[in-house]
Amino acid sequence: MAIMKSVPIKVEHEGKWVPATMGIGEDRIRIGAPLDCEIPYRSMVDLEAKKNQVTIAAGPEAEEVYRIASVEKVLSVLKKFVITRCSAYRLNAFFMSPAIRGGVLVQDAHWEKGAIAVMKTGIWFISQENQVCIPLEDVTGIELTRREIQEKDLDVVKIDHLIENEVVTSFILCPKTTLQVLYNFLNEATQGSRYEGELDPLTGQVAMLVYSGMDSSSIENMLKLSHKDLDAIYEQLLTTGFAEVIYIRKEIQLTTKGVRYISDAVKSSSNQ
Amino acid sequence: MGRILIVDDTMFMRTLLKNILFSGGHDIVGEAADGAEAVARYQELKPDLVTMDVVMPKVNGIEALKAIKAADPGAKVIMCTAVGQEQMVKLAIRSGARGYIVKPFQAPKVLEEVKNVLSA
Repeated sequence: MAIMKSVPIKVEHEGKWVPATMGIGEDRIRIGAPLDCEIPYRSMVDLEAKKNQVTIAAGPEAEEVYRIASVEKVLSVLKKFVITRCSAYRLNAFFMSPAIRGGVLVQDAHWEKGAIAVMKTGIWFISQENQVCIPLEDVTGIELTRREIQEKDLDVVKIDHLIENEVVTSFILCPKTTLQVLYNFLNEATQGSRYEGELDPLTGQVAMLVYSGMDSSSIENMLKLSHKDLDAIYEQLLTTGFAEVIYIRKEIQLTTKGVRYISDAVKSSSNQ
Repeated sequence: MGRILIVDDTMFMRTLLKNILFSGGHDIVGEAADGAEAVARYQELKPDLVTMDVVMPKVNGIEALKAIKAADPGAKVIMCTAVGQEQMVKLAIRSGARGYIVKPFQAPKVLEEVKNVLSA
Protein backbone atom coordinates (compact mmCIF):
# COMPACT_ATOMS: atom_id res chain seq x y z
CA MET A 1 0.00 0.00 0.00
CA ALA A 2 1.27 3.48 -0.87
CA ILE A 3 2.39 5.76 1.94
CA MET A 4 -0.50 7.80 3.27
CA LYS A 5 -0.28 11.25 4.71
CA SER A 6 -2.11 11.42 8.04
CA VAL A 7 -4.55 14.21 8.72
CA PRO A 8 -6.39 15.04 11.93
CA ILE A 9 -10.08 14.17 11.97
CA LYS A 10 -12.83 13.36 14.42
CA VAL A 11 -14.64 10.04 14.22
CA GLU A 12 -17.80 8.87 15.84
CA HIS A 13 -16.92 6.11 18.29
CA GLU A 14 -19.42 4.56 20.69
CA GLY A 15 -21.78 7.50 20.23
CA LYS A 16 -19.14 10.19 20.83
CA TRP A 17 -16.93 12.27 18.55
CA VAL A 18 -13.29 11.51 19.31
CA PRO A 19 -10.07 12.91 17.78
CA ALA A 20 -8.19 10.54 15.49
CA THR A 21 -5.97 10.53 12.43
CA MET A 22 -6.83 9.40 8.92
CA GLY A 23 -4.62 8.40 6.03
CA ILE A 24 -6.01 8.63 2.52
CA GLY A 25 -4.30 6.15 0.21
CA GLU A 26 -4.65 5.03 -3.38
CA ASP A 27 -6.83 2.03 -2.62
CA ARG A 28 -8.01 2.52 0.97
CA ILE A 29 -8.26 4.84 3.93
CA ARG A 30 -6.78 4.11 7.32
CA ILE A 31 -8.32 5.46 10.52
CA GLY A 32 -6.07 5.46 13.58
CA ALA A 33 -6.93 4.79 17.24
CA PRO A 34 -9.46 4.27 18.69
CA LEU A 35 -10.92 2.69 15.51
CA ASP A 36 -7.61 1.31 14.18
CA CYS A 37 -8.95 0.07 10.87
CA GLU A 38 -8.38 0.12 7.13
CA ILE A 39 -11.29 0.50 4.73
CA PRO A 40 -10.65 -0.39 1.08
CA TYR A 41 -12.53 1.90 -1.34
CA ARG A 42 -13.94 -1.11 -3.19
CA SER A 43 -15.75 -2.17 -0.02
CA MET A 44 -17.47 1.21 0.24
CA VAL A 45 -21.03 1.32 -1.05
CA ASP A 46 -22.35 4.64 0.15
CA LEU A 47 -21.29 8.18 0.95
CA GLU A 48 -23.37 10.90 2.54
CA ALA A 49 -22.18 14.39 3.30
CA LYS A 50 -23.49 17.29 5.35
CA LYS A 51 -21.62 20.42 6.36
CA ASN A 52 -18.29 19.26 7.81
CA GLN A 53 -19.17 15.58 8.11
CA VAL A 54 -19.23 12.54 5.87
CA THR A 55 -20.74 9.15 6.49
CA ILE A 56 -19.21 6.19 4.69
CA ALA A 57 -20.97 2.84 4.54
CA ALA A 58 -18.97 -0.25 3.67
CA GLY A 59 -19.53 -3.99 3.41
CA PRO A 60 -21.94 -6.04 1.29
CA GLU A 61 -24.96 -4.88 3.30
CA ALA A 62 -23.55 -1.43 4.10
CA GLU A 63 -23.26 -2.74 7.64
CA GLU A 64 -20.03 -0.90 8.54
CA VAL A 65 -20.74 2.81 9.06
CA TYR A 66 -18.03 5.40 9.64
CA ARG A 67 -18.80 9.01 10.52
CA ILE A 68 -15.92 11.38 9.97
CA ALA A 69 -15.71 15.11 10.67
CA SER A 70 -12.94 17.36 9.44
CA VAL A 71 -12.18 20.59 7.60
CA GLU A 72 -13.61 21.08 4.10
CA LYS A 73 -10.24 20.61 2.38
CA VAL A 74 -9.71 17.15 3.91
CA LEU A 75 -13.28 16.04 3.30
CA SER A 76 -13.12 17.22 -0.30
CA VAL A 77 -10.06 15.00 -0.97
CA LEU A 78 -11.69 12.09 0.88
CA LYS A 79 -14.94 12.44 -1.08
CA LYS A 80 -13.07 12.58 -4.38
CA PHE A 81 -11.25 9.31 -3.64
CA VAL A 82 -14.38 7.58 -2.38
CA ILE A 83 -16.58 8.71 -5.29
CA THR A 84 -14.07 7.73 -7.95
CA ARG A 85 -12.97 4.43 -6.42
CA CYS A 86 -15.84 2.96 -4.38
CA SER A 87 -18.19 0.18 -5.42
CA ALA A 88 -20.86 2.06 -7.40
CA TYR A 89 -22.36 2.46 -10.86
CA ARG A 90 -20.00 5.08 -12.27
CA LEU A 91 -19.47 6.86 -15.57
CA ASN A 92 -17.75 9.84 -17.09
CA ALA A 93 -20.25 12.51 -18.05
CA PHE A 94 -21.04 16.17 -18.29
CA PHE A 95 -23.48 17.59 -15.78
CA MET A 96 -25.25 20.84 -15.12
CA SER A 97 -26.45 21.33 -11.56
CA PRO A 98 -28.51 23.30 -10.79
CA ALA A 99 -29.94 24.25 -14.19
CA ILE A 100 -33.37 25.34 -12.92
CA ARG A 101 -34.27 26.42 -9.37
CA GLY A 102 -37.90 26.72 -8.29
CA GLY A 103 -38.94 26.93 -11.95
CA VAL A 104 -36.48 29.70 -12.84
CA LEU A 105 -33.57 29.06 -15.20
CA VAL A 106 -30.19 29.58 -13.59
CA GLN A 107 -28.60 32.14 -15.92
CA ASP A 108 -24.97 31.21 -15.29
CA ALA A 109 -25.52 27.43 -15.31
CA HIS A 110 -22.90 25.61 -17.37
CA TRP A 111 -21.86 22.06 -18.27
CA GLU A 112 -19.11 20.59 -16.14
CA LYS A 113 -16.97 17.66 -17.20
CA GLY A 114 -16.59 15.01 -14.54
CA ALA A 115 -17.78 11.69 -13.19
CA ILE A 116 -21.05 10.43 -11.84
CA ALA A 117 -21.41 7.74 -9.22
CA VAL A 118 -24.76 6.26 -8.29
CA MET A 119 -24.51 4.98 -4.74
CA LYS A 120 -26.87 3.31 -2.32
CA THR A 121 -28.58 6.51 -1.15
CA GLY A 122 -27.49 9.19 -3.60
CA ILE A 123 -26.10 10.30 -6.93
CA TRP A 124 -22.75 12.07 -6.79
CA PHE A 125 -21.38 14.44 -9.44
CA ILE A 126 -17.73 15.24 -9.21
CA SER A 127 -15.71 17.67 -11.31
CA GLN A 128 -12.55 19.74 -10.81
CA GLU A 129 -14.61 22.49 -9.16
CA ASN A 130 -17.61 20.75 -7.65
CA GLN A 131 -18.87 17.83 -5.63
CA VAL A 132 -22.65 17.66 -5.75
CA CYS A 133 -24.85 15.01 -4.12
CA ILE A 134 -28.48 14.36 -4.90
CA PRO A 135 -29.96 12.02 -2.27
CA LEU A 136 -32.21 9.46 -4.02
CA GLU A 137 -34.98 10.14 -1.49
CA ASP A 138 -35.04 13.77 -2.67
CA VAL A 139 -35.45 12.89 -6.36
CA THR A 140 -38.89 13.99 -7.60
CA GLY A 141 -38.52 13.11 -11.26
CA ILE A 142 -36.28 11.37 -13.80
CA GLU A 143 -36.74 11.99 -17.49
CA LEU A 144 -34.89 11.11 -20.67
CA THR A 145 -35.26 14.24 -22.77
CA ARG A 146 -33.50 16.35 -25.42
CA ARG A 147 -31.70 19.64 -24.94
CA GLU A 148 -30.01 22.00 -27.35
CA ILE A 149 -26.28 22.02 -26.61
CA GLN A 150 -23.90 23.92 -28.90
CA GLU A 151 -26.50 24.08 -31.69
CA LYS A 152 -27.14 20.31 -31.45
CA ASP A 153 -30.22 18.61 -30.08
CA LEU A 154 -28.80 15.99 -27.70
CA ASP A 155 -30.26 13.40 -25.35
CA VAL A 156 -29.87 14.16 -21.67
CA VAL A 157 -31.15 12.77 -18.38
CA LYS A 158 -33.09 15.36 -16.44
CA ILE A 159 -33.28 14.94 -12.66
CA ASP A 160 -35.71 16.98 -10.58
CA HIS A 161 -34.90 16.99 -6.89
CA LEU A 162 -35.50 18.91 -3.68
CA ILE A 163 -32.94 21.06 -1.90
CA GLU A 164 -34.39 22.48 1.31
CA ASN A 165 -37.93 22.38 -0.11
CA GLU A 166 -36.85 24.09 -3.32
CA VAL A 167 -37.37 22.11 -6.53
CA VAL A 168 -34.14 22.00 -8.52
CA THR A 169 -33.44 20.52 -11.95
CA SER A 170 -30.07 19.06 -12.97
CA PHE A 171 -28.99 17.56 -16.32
CA ILE A 172 -26.58 14.77 -17.21
CA LEU A 173 -25.06 14.39 -20.67
CA CYS A 174 -23.15 11.28 -21.80
CA PRO A 175 -23.16 8.89 -24.78
CA LYS A 176 -26.67 7.75 -25.65
CA THR A 177 -26.21 4.05 -24.79
CA THR A 178 -24.84 4.91 -21.34
CA LEU A 179 -27.54 7.50 -20.88
CA GLN A 180 -30.27 4.88 -21.34
CA VAL A 181 -28.59 2.59 -18.78
CA LEU A 182 -28.25 5.49 -16.34
CA TYR A 183 -31.87 6.48 -16.86
CA ASN A 184 -33.09 2.91 -16.23
CA PHE A 185 -30.87 2.61 -13.18
CA LEU A 186 -32.09 5.88 -11.66
CA ASN A 187 -35.68 5.16 -12.55
CA GLU A 188 -35.50 1.88 -10.68
CA ALA A 189 -33.65 3.38 -7.72
CA THR A 190 -36.32 6.05 -7.26
CA GLN A 191 -39.34 3.84 -7.98
CA GLY A 192 -40.52 4.18 -4.36
CA SER A 193 -41.52 7.83 -4.74
CA ARG A 194 -43.60 7.26 -7.90
CA TYR A 195 -47.42 7.45 -7.65
CA GLU A 196 -49.30 5.35 -10.18
CA GLY A 197 -52.80 6.70 -9.55
CA GLU A 198 -54.26 10.01 -10.62
CA LEU A 199 -55.57 12.91 -8.55
CA ASP A 200 -58.93 14.46 -9.35
CA PRO A 201 -58.57 17.88 -11.05
CA LEU A 202 -59.42 19.94 -7.94
CA THR A 203 -57.00 18.03 -5.71
CA GLY A 204 -54.39 18.42 -8.46
CA GLN A 205 -54.92 22.18 -8.49
CA VAL A 206 -54.57 22.34 -4.71
CA ALA A 207 -51.34 20.32 -4.93
CA MET A 208 -50.05 22.70 -7.60
CA LEU A 209 -50.83 25.71 -5.39
CA VAL A 210 -49.09 24.14 -2.39
CA TYR A 211 -46.10 23.44 -4.66
CA SER A 212 -46.06 27.11 -5.63
CA GLY A 213 -45.99 28.14 -1.98
CA MET A 214 -49.58 29.29 -1.44
CA ASP A 215 -50.95 29.12 2.11
CA SER A 216 -54.35 27.72 3.08
CA SER A 217 -56.25 31.00 3.04
CA SER A 218 -54.84 31.94 -0.41
CA ILE A 219 -55.87 28.52 -1.74
CA GLU A 220 -59.38 28.89 -0.28
CA ASN A 221 -59.73 32.32 -1.92
CA MET A 222 -58.28 31.29 -5.28
CA LEU A 223 -60.36 28.13 -5.68
CA LYS A 224 -63.43 29.42 -3.77
CA LEU A 225 -63.24 26.54 -1.32
CA SER A 226 -64.59 26.37 2.21
CA HIS A 227 -62.24 25.55 5.07
CA LYS A 228 -63.95 22.16 5.39
CA ASP A 229 -63.56 21.33 1.68
CA LEU A 230 -59.89 22.27 1.72
CA ASP A 231 -59.35 20.16 4.82
CA ALA A 232 -60.82 17.14 3.02
CA ILE A 233 -58.49 17.70 0.05
CA TYR A 234 -55.50 18.10 2.38
CA GLU A 235 -56.50 14.82 4.02
CA GLN A 236 -56.39 13.13 0.60
CA LEU A 237 -52.93 14.57 -0.11
CA LEU A 238 -51.74 13.41 3.30
CA THR A 239 -53.16 9.90 2.84
CA THR A 240 -51.47 9.47 -0.55
CA GLY A 241 -48.17 10.60 0.96
CA PHE A 242 -48.04 13.65 -1.31
CA ALA A 243 -47.84 16.07 1.58
CA GLU A 244 -46.96 16.34 5.23
CA VAL A 245 -48.30 18.58 7.99
CA ILE A 246 -45.91 21.41 8.84
CA TYR A 247 -48.11 23.05 11.46
CA ILE A 248 -51.74 23.20 12.54
CA ARG A 249 -53.30 26.65 12.62
CA LYS A 250 -56.13 27.41 15.05
CA GLU A 251 -59.33 29.28 14.18
CA ILE A 252 -60.79 30.89 17.30
CA GLN A 253 -63.75 32.96 18.46
CA LEU A 254 -63.88 35.20 21.51
CA THR A 255 -65.44 34.08 24.78
CA THR A 256 -67.63 36.37 26.92
CA LYS A 257 -64.45 37.46 28.72
CA GLY A 258 -62.76 38.33 25.43
CA VAL A 259 -65.79 40.18 24.05
CA ARG A 260 -66.03 42.18 27.31
CA TYR A 261 -62.34 43.10 27.11
CA ILE A 262 -62.71 44.36 23.51
CA SER A 263 -65.92 46.29 24.36
CA ASP A 264 -64.22 47.93 27.36
CA ALA A 265 -61.12 48.73 25.34
CA VAL A 266 -63.18 50.41 22.61
CA LYS A 267 -65.16 52.38 25.21
CA SER A 268 -62.04 53.61 27.00
CA SER A 269 -60.35 54.64 23.77
CA SER A 270 -63.46 56.48 22.52
CA ASN A 271 -63.74 58.31 25.91
CA GLN A 272 -60.22 59.72 25.61
CA MET B 1 -42.04 47.15 -7.22
CA GLY B 2 -43.41 47.01 -10.73
CA ARG B 3 -46.56 47.32 -12.80
CA ILE B 4 -47.03 43.89 -14.35
CA LEU B 5 -49.13 42.46 -17.20
CA ILE B 6 -49.85 38.72 -16.87
CA VAL B 7 -50.39 36.73 -20.07
CA ASP B 8 -51.59 33.10 -19.91
CA ASP B 9 -54.46 31.25 -21.56
CA THR B 10 -55.50 29.51 -18.33
CA MET B 11 -57.26 31.47 -15.64
CA PHE B 12 -55.76 29.18 -12.99
CA MET B 13 -52.20 30.15 -13.95
CA ARG B 14 -53.10 33.84 -14.23
CA THR B 15 -54.64 33.74 -10.76
CA LEU B 16 -51.66 31.90 -9.32
CA LEU B 17 -49.16 34.37 -10.82
CA LYS B 18 -51.33 37.28 -9.71
CA ASN B 19 -51.29 36.00 -6.12
CA ILE B 20 -47.55 35.41 -6.14
CA LEU B 21 -46.73 38.80 -7.67
CA PHE B 22 -49.22 40.63 -5.47
CA SER B 23 -47.67 39.01 -2.38
CA GLY B 24 -44.34 40.45 -3.55
CA GLY B 25 -45.80 43.95 -3.56
CA HIS B 26 -46.26 44.28 -7.32
CA ASP B 27 -49.16 45.97 -9.01
CA ILE B 28 -51.00 43.75 -11.52
CA VAL B 29 -52.15 46.26 -14.13
CA GLY B 30 -53.77 43.80 -16.50
CA GLU B 31 -54.22 40.27 -17.81
CA ALA B 32 -54.44 38.76 -21.28
CA ALA B 33 -55.46 35.27 -22.40
CA ASP B 34 -53.67 35.09 -25.77
CA GLY B 35 -50.82 36.68 -27.69
CA ALA B 36 -52.91 39.12 -29.70
CA GLU B 37 -54.60 40.43 -26.57
CA ALA B 38 -51.18 40.68 -24.90
CA VAL B 39 -49.81 42.95 -27.64
CA ALA B 40 -52.89 45.19 -27.48
CA ARG B 41 -52.85 45.39 -23.70
CA TYR B 42 -49.12 46.14 -23.68
CA GLN B 43 -49.66 49.14 -25.99
CA GLU B 44 -52.53 50.34 -23.83
CA LEU B 45 -51.01 49.78 -20.35
CA LYS B 46 -47.25 50.19 -20.92
CA PRO B 47 -46.39 47.90 -17.98
CA ASP B 48 -42.91 47.66 -16.44
CA LEU B 49 -42.85 43.91 -17.03
CA VAL B 50 -44.83 41.16 -18.77
CA THR B 51 -45.02 37.49 -17.78
CA MET B 52 -45.80 35.68 -21.02
CA ASP B 53 -46.96 32.08 -21.46
CA VAL B 54 -45.41 30.45 -24.55
CA VAL B 55 -48.13 28.08 -25.72
CA MET B 56 -51.37 30.00 -26.31
CA PRO B 57 -54.14 30.06 -28.93
CA LYS B 58 -54.26 32.56 -31.83
CA VAL B 59 -50.88 34.29 -31.45
CA ASN B 60 -48.38 32.31 -29.34
CA GLY B 61 -46.09 33.81 -26.71
CA ILE B 62 -42.97 33.95 -28.91
CA GLU B 63 -44.85 35.84 -31.67
CA ALA B 64 -46.36 38.20 -29.09
CA LEU B 65 -42.90 38.76 -27.57
CA LYS B 66 -41.49 39.65 -30.99
CA ALA B 67 -44.36 42.07 -31.66
CA ILE B 68 -43.95 43.75 -28.27
CA LYS B 69 -40.17 44.05 -28.72
CA ALA B 70 -40.63 45.45 -32.23
CA ALA B 71 -42.85 48.20 -30.86
CA ASP B 72 -40.83 48.76 -27.67
CA PRO B 73 -37.24 47.38 -27.75
CA GLY B 74 -36.87 48.14 -24.05
CA ALA B 75 -39.83 45.95 -23.04
CA LYS B 76 -39.11 43.55 -20.19
CA VAL B 77 -40.71 40.16 -20.79
CA ILE B 78 -40.31 36.97 -18.75
CA MET B 79 -41.43 33.87 -20.65
CA CYS B 80 -43.32 31.16 -18.85
CA THR B 81 -43.81 27.62 -20.10
CA ALA B 82 -44.38 24.05 -19.02
CA VAL B 83 -41.75 21.46 -18.18
CA GLY B 84 -40.54 19.72 -21.32
CA GLN B 85 -40.66 22.83 -23.50
CA GLU B 86 -37.30 24.16 -22.37
CA GLN B 87 -36.10 24.01 -25.99
CA MET B 88 -38.10 27.19 -26.43
CA VAL B 89 -35.70 28.97 -24.09
CA LYS B 90 -33.08 29.83 -26.70
CA LEU B 91 -35.71 30.96 -29.19
CA ALA B 92 -37.27 33.18 -26.54
CA ILE B 93 -33.93 34.60 -25.41
CA ARG B 94 -32.99 35.28 -29.06
CA SER B 95 -36.34 37.01 -29.47
CA GLY B 96 -35.58 39.34 -26.58
CA ALA B 97 -36.96 37.67 -23.44
CA ARG B 98 -35.21 38.84 -20.27
CA GLY B 99 -35.98 35.75 -18.20
CA TYR B 100 -37.62 32.35 -18.30
CA ILE B 101 -39.86 30.54 -15.82
CA VAL B 102 -40.66 26.84 -16.08
CA LYS B 103 -44.01 25.60 -14.75
CA PRO B 104 -44.51 24.35 -12.11
CA PHE B 105 -42.74 27.16 -10.30
CA GLN B 106 -42.22 28.24 -6.70
CA ALA B 107 -43.20 31.68 -5.48
CA PRO B 108 -39.88 32.84 -3.95
CA LYS B 109 -37.95 32.07 -7.14
CA VAL B 110 -40.54 33.77 -9.36
CA LEU B 111 -40.34 36.91 -7.21
CA GLU B 112 -36.55 36.79 -7.30
CA GLU B 113 -36.55 36.55 -11.11
CA VAL B 114 -39.07 39.39 -11.44
CA LYS B 115 -36.97 41.54 -9.11
CA ASN B 116 -33.81 40.79 -11.11
CA VAL B 117 -35.43 41.65 -14.43
CA LEU B 118 -37.07 44.81 -13.10
CA SER B 119 -33.82 46.09 -11.62
CA ALA B 120 -31.68 45.22 -14.68
